[in-house]
Amino acid sequence: MKRLQLQRWSSSVLSPRARTGGRLQQHLYYNLRRQSTVTPAAQAENEQLIDQQSSLLTTQTPGSPYSLPSPPVEAARESAKLAALHARLYLPTRLPLETLARCLVDSSADPNAKFNNESLSILGHDLLSHYTSEHLICTYPRLPLTVIFAAMYAYVGPKTLAAMTREWGVELAAVPGGEVDPGLLQFKRVVPGTDVNEEPAVATERPNEHRTSWRKSMTSRVVYDNEFGDPTEVKNIKGVPAEHASARFIRAVMGAIYLHAGRPAAKRFFEQHFLSRHLNISELFNFSQPARDLARLCARENFEPPVAKIISETGRKSRHPVFVVGIFSGQDKLGEGAGASLLEARSRAAVAALKGWYLYSPLNVRVPSAMEEEGAAPWKPVHVDLGEVIV
Amino acid sequence: MRSSLRLLNLEAPTLQGSKTLYVCSVCRQETRPRPALARQFLRNSSTTPITERVRRKIWGTDSPPGLEDPYGGQSVLEKKFKKDQPEQRPQRTQEPDDGWRNIDEASAGVETAPSGEYEPATTWEGLARVGHLGRWTDFPASEVDEYTSFKSKKRLTKPNHHALAAHQAAVEICLMQSLNKPLASVCDVVEHQEPIFDLLWKCRIKPADGQWNGALVYPDEKAEQVLAYVFEQIGSQAQTESAAEDAAEADEAEPETVDPEAPRSLFFNKAHVRDKGYLRLSLADPATKFAFLKRFSQLTGHYFPDPVINSISSVREAIQYVGGELSLKSLKLDAKPQKLGPQLTASKTLQDLPNVKVFEKRQKRVDRDEELGRKKVIEAALRERGLIQ
Repeated sequence: MKRLQLQRWSSSVLSPRARTGGRLQQHLYYNLRRQSTVTPAAQAENEQLIDQQSSLLTTQTPGSPYSLPSPPVEAARESAKLAALHARLYLPTRLPLETLARCLVDSSADPNAKFNNESLSILGHDLLSHYTSEHLICTYPRLPLTVIFAAMYAYVGPKTLAAMTREWGVELAAVPGGEVDPGLLQFKRVVPGTDVNEEPAVATERPNEHRTSWRKSMTSRVVYDNEFGDPTEVKNIKGVPAEHASARFIRAVMGAIYLHAGRPAAKRFFEQHFLSRHLNISELFNFSQPARDLARLCARENFEPPVAKIISETGRKSRHPVFVVGIFSGQDKLGEGAGASLLEARSRAAVAALKGWYLYSPLNVRVPSAMEEEGAAPWKPVHVDLGEVIV
Repeated sequence: MRSSLRLLNLEAPTLQGSKTLYVCSVCRQETRPRPALARQFLRNSSTTPITERVRRKIWGTDSPPGLEDPYGGQSVLEKKFKKDQPEQRPQRTQEPDDGWRNIDEASAGVETAPSGEYEPATTWEGLARVGHLGRWTDFPASEVDEYTSFKSKKRLTKPNHHALAAHQAAVEICLMQSLNKPLASVCDVVEHQEPIFDLLWKCRIKPADGQWNGALVYPDEKAEQVLAYVFEQIGSQAQTESAAEDAAEADEAEPETVDPEAPRSLFFNKAHVRDKGYLRLSLADPATKFAFLKRFSQLTGHYFPDPVINSISSVREAIQYVGGELSLKSLKLDAKPQKLGPQLTASKTLQDLPNVKVFEKRQKRVDRDEELGRKKVIEAALRERGLIQ
């Protein structure tokens, strides 16, 4: 993996106005386009926005803060909100207030890439996805792909990030502008009355996208869709929902920490703010036929076929009988479940056996990114499972 | 019938005239004459009637004022029995033992006057005046109405007069201190007579570290005795009176209030104080400071406001204040208390805190709107409707 050149990134972030050459930004934009997260229509709209902004700039007096689309860089030092946020998050001192202020400017507020958080949020997004996915896969090597997608969404999904923005105490500006306090999250809001749930424009590189009746396999989502297994949506509405803007802000903070304070600080920030959130992965499972899945699993792993046996029962003839059923593979008990009927108890026991299999977690988990540290121990390959049972 | 029984049985006299009226057996029994022996036995051999005893009890004396029998003259029955027992009635007129008796007799004469002689007054002539009818401003001022100022009416302006007054006050308070008398009572005597003032003027003050104790130096032994004698009389009225008689006998000068109307010479034409030791006296002790400033204020006619009294710490400062050299500004008393806003703005501690922002003016809704960025939207909407220019 080619390493990022931190110096160049940092300098571009630190003194955006000092650097006239936007080569890096262009590069970023180029990457953005190639990833095709932006439709040509949106791109055109973006350019139109820039044109509008420039025309607005020409009409207003140049010295007034109203003429700026986002707060000037000098205002970051004046804002008490920004300093309070910096202190509240216990951000490293090497992350200046100016960058934090830039993280709070969405691309919809200031289309100029030198002043908005788009580049930072892309970097932060990739970092978050990388760290979360390697953490999930290394900690639970046998998780089914659907559960991984759900866990990813739960850890770094936009809803979670929006909730984190609220928890961090970041307030939203009503309308972006140069006179706005830099400590407020600035983005162009969705115009009231807009139908947010209209048919989104889906941008994928999936072949045969027009054949809607074709089944989309779960494995193909790894390739064609985003990290949550959802198709990348681009809505043709003006403005940005607060949820998206908040998510971009959090990602930008992550990227800014990575650029200014380095990788260890970014990892520490990730552990303290993302992995520390409690997520009960065992609740993410949803089995339709657990007994059948377990039988296939045993067949695949060359275990003896599972046999359900009654361990104990009470009140069979009564109104509320309870059966405790265990599933055995040979002499090994795979799982145990209790239910009001024999079938229910058996399926519960099968679910317990499957969860016990899928939720296996090795001791002393090491993630691949741990090798990036200086003087790291030699890499010992982690356990990689065959994957889920495909019925 | 006893006079007391008439209270209960007023119809008894009419009983004699008309036999048709019914009289109950008890009343009949009561009206029956009884032997004197039985009556004495009945009433603990007391001959005084019950009304008389009640009156005595009410008045608290054996010879109460007023009529012995206030309910008219003797009844028919009484007259009848009086003939039988003339010695039963005590003769009160024969025992005038005190002043009350005479008054009683006189008032009894007035009160026993028949009602027909009453003549209502038609004018105020001869009637005692009680209270007034609201025109009290027309009455001449009485003694208690007059107001005399504590301070002298004239404010002394010359510095030598200030010095003389301060020296006099200091010497007087030193004297009172040595005599263990209340210090502030020196103000009871507004101005001393000339010989006393001369003695005071000749006294010197040599304080050690600004202390008042033992700072006074008398010109000679005789002066010390005279001053101690004179100031011993100040502060206690009874002593002053008795001492004044002695002083009159001894033909000594005594402190007296000079008639304010009389033309007076300030400090008996003394021009300067003889020494300046009193300037070094300290006013740290609150009681001494109060006494000195009170006396000094009385002599000079200058008023000391409370903040000035609080800030003055020596006799020199008091003289400087009276002379105008010590202004309120130098005492830092005219400075208004700083407002909280500028105080917070100038605070170095708050300026160093990055997460605290102190606004110089009150933050209103407009400022909040501007901070959130919606002020321009609001203004645009208002301008669009033509509500603002």
